[in-house]
Amino acid sequence: MAGVQVANVSRSFGAHKALDDVSIDFADGGFYALLGPSGSGKTTLLRQIAGFDFPDAGRIAIGGESVERVPVEKRRIGMVFQNYALFPNMSVADNVAFGLSVRGEAKATIAAEVQRALELVQLGKLGGRRPHQLSGGQRQRVALARAIVTKPRVLLLDEPLGALDKALRVDMQIELKRIQREIGITTIFVTHDQEEALTMSDRIGILRDGRLVQEGPPEEIYDRPQSEFAATFLGDANIFRGDAIGNGIRLQDGTTINAASGASVPAGAKASCAVRPERIQISTGAAKPDSANANTLKGQVSKRIFAGNNSTYFVDRDGQTLKVIVQNTGAERLAEGEPVVLSWSPDSTVLIAAA
Amino acid sequence: MGTTRILEWLGRFYIVLLLGFLYLPIIIMAAMSFNASPFYQLPFEWTTDWYASLWQNDQLIAATWNSIEIAVITTIISTVLGAMASLALYRYEFRGKKVLQALLFPPIAIPWLITGTAMLIFFFGVGIGRGLIAILLGHVALALPYVIVVVSARLQTFAPELEEAARSLGANQWQVTMRVTLPWIMPGVIAGGLFAFAVSFDQFVVSYFLSTPGQTTLPVEIYAAIRKGFTPEINAVSTIIIVVSMALMLLTARFFKFGGEK
Amino acid sequence: MADQLATASQRGLRPALPLLLPAYLWLTVAIFLPLSAMVFFSFMTDLPLAGKEWAFTLGNYAAFFSQSLYSTLLFASLRLGLEVTLWCVVIGYPAAYVLAKVLKGRSREAIFLLVILPFWSNGLVRIFSWAMVLREGGILDTALNAVLPFKINIDLMYSYPAVIIGLVHSYVPYMVLTCYLTLQAIDDSLIEAGRSLGASRRQVLWRVIIPLSMPGLIAGSALIFVPVVGSFMEPRILGGRTGTFYGTVIEDQFVAVFNWPLGAALSFILLAVVLIILALAAPVLRRAG
Repeated sequence: MAGVQVANVSRSFGAHKALDDVSIDFADGGFYALLGPSGSGKTTLLRQIAGFDFPDAGRIAIGGESVERVPVEKRRIGMVFQNYALFPNMSVADNVAFGLSVRGEAKATIAAEVQRALELVQLGKLGGRRPHQLSGGQRQRVALARAIVTKPRVLLLDEPLGALDKALRVDMQIELKRIQREIGITTIFVTHDQEEALTMSDRIGILRDGRLVQEGPPEEIYDRPQSEFAATFLGDANIFRGDAIGNGIRLQDGTTINAASGASVPAGAKASCAVRPERIQISTGAAKPDSANANTLKGQVSKRIFAGNNSTYFVDRDGQTLKVIVQNTGAERLAEGEPVVLSWSPDSTVLIAAA
Repeated sequence: MGTTRILEWLGRFYIVLLLGFLYLPIIIMAAMSFNASPFYQLPFEWTTDWYASLWQNDQLIAATWNSIEIAVITTIISTVLGAMASLALYRYEFRGKKVLQALLFPPIAIPWLITGTAMLIFFFGVGIGRGLIAILLGHVALALPYVIVVVSARLQTFAPELEEAARSLGANQWQVTMRVTLPWIMPGVIAGGLFAFAVSFDQFVVSYFLSTPGQTTLPVEIYAAIRKGFTPEINAVSTIIIVVSMALMLLTARFFKFGGEK
Repeated sequence: MADQLATASQRGLRPALPLLLPAYLWLTVAIFLPLSAMVFFSFMTDLPLAGKEWAFTLGNYAAFFSQSLYSTLLFASLRLGLEVTLWCVVIGYPAAYVLAKVLKGRSREAIFLLVILPFWSNGLVRIFSWAMVLREGGILDTALNAVLPFKINIDLMYSYPAVIIGLVHSYVPYMVLTCYLTLQAIDDSLIEAGRSLGASRRQVLWRVIIPLSMPGLIAGSALIFVPVVGSFMEPRILGGRTGTFYGTVIEDQFVAVFNWPLGAALSFILLAVVLIILALAAPVLRRAG
């Protein structure tokens, strides 16, 4: 087991800069997500860590040892591919055994380790089957068993759950987390699904256009995004833009929005405030706001979406459509066209410097 | 709809005619090989004498052995070399790759008359001269592009992640090739090998120019015999050759579907 | 897009070299060097063998232009190539169409294999089989005589038509193959669209199908024309005295007359013609292939 240190890694393909000075420290034993839209460079970075490609600049170290020029077969990593990449001409057991057998381990040792790995992923009885006889979820687990049986230092996963349907995906998320905790291996997985990243990982690194946008625990990024992109990519956010004033911003129409946390921005500079839809209270004009310095805005409901245990209100205000999510606790439902008052605490507001 | 049906049946009838055109001469030739008359005269009288007399024909037998030996060696060499080259073209990107791929066309595209005579000149100049070695050199060169095309086609169906997965598990290039890639491309390699055998065994033009008395191949001997005059013995050996060729091709088709299907 | 680029294959010529070298070295020694040698020798008076005097000369090429025999024969070969190719188109294209559009499933695969099979068997033997059919007293003769009320003497052997028949028989499967591949790729819905717009069958054929089949037709034509222009075995066997073409003259230089430099020069001229034709057809071939 080892941590991975990526320092100032850059990689270009022709004119296209796939990775631009990216630095992340993956601590030993942690579960990391690399999150971003397609083309963000997250897979490129994963493949750099794996060793299929080498950086143009920067260092990559596994367990303190510099590996940026070491080819993949010598890095002692385990990798799970998007389409599982199980060897079609071998049985499940032979697939899992492959890494051990190319190392020249003894047959008895191999058999024992393979069985243990298969049982860890709950496929103990399927060793004799061939990949084409397995379901997608089963193939996934074989790929995982194969990757971890050699006791690699790092486990890398490239969008491992993308090909599974929703219910299976959730199951596999839990499975993966359980296995990772059990063996304690440093795990880095690439995904474009922010929900997946939120639920599974200890820390998230958000990438966009080859740059690291923000890195940290899920809650930290969610509660305190450092950019509009992070705010809107990880979860929904309402964004207000204006000029910075002390702890907040002033909108064009003069309204002030107070933020209790976020970047420090010099007064007068362009800035934004972000607030999550579930943090906003929505009511008809009569109700009183919670506290004195709450942010309040008046608007009009343009649409209401009922989603069972919650409802989403789209509120128009000054040319902007805001999103508010409320739990359906039995409180009175608001109708479309109704004028409403939105209020939320500055504690729920984050000040973001302009890019 | 009626017109369509009629046209379709006309089409099928046309195919039958075409198949007749393609196979009738061969069938007749084969039939005549069993006819007793040395001048191909009817009525038909069954005999296998012509096949029997083939065994007496030492020259023909020697040439047949040469053909088989050369074909076998050609198959082995061209399959190994061709598979290696296909793997390299599949796995690696480098400058000049397109040029290398284009260079595979001349041996197939240039008329064998030109390549054959060019080989004759060159081999004479460098001291290889004519004979079985020269023929072997030529046959492998002619077979290589076919092997590469066939194996490369099979490699197209091979998911690149499989090699990457093997490497991620610690396998070096040799282990990856032997344990992951080769098993998958084996049908293509076999098809390529059968192709190579057919190309070599049936090869006439290049063998013709590179032959020398005593060191000839079967097609060259048959040609010499034809130039002297037609005899049913020629029919006999020709029938044997054609049956062997077609059987080989049927075998190849089993391993490698032509026509873009599957 | 970066993700796709990131998954590209390994880079560099160095690791590829040991795998590539054997095959390409062999090709160099057996094909490319000989072709270069041929060009080189075509400029000589004689082969540089022990004791023989030799000098550089353009005489061999001059002979081509000065003696009308050679250019006449070249044109004869080119004409032969054209005729054979045209016959192959006429005979092969409809067959390819039926295979691609009319036949389906198992029978299509089987028939396709049957059509291609002779093509991959021994060419020399197939030509010989035609001799059986075409000669006087051969099957064609006998069969027609059995059927017709009057005695007719078919002796197609040793004639230009015989050479044509033999060559068409040898090469028509090529045309069927290339046209079949192209036709198979044409979506049926295109034909249906044409019909639904009111076009008659003939119009759909001329204005939709044939233009889309062009790559296959051109590819097949190039693959047939080139070898036919250089053929000598088929003319010799089926053409007899009338079977003198450019290919046979080149053959003579090497096996009978032993004027190798002249043979080399004539060969090179043929090679130049072939390369020009291939270059013209290359863009289409690349798209079709």
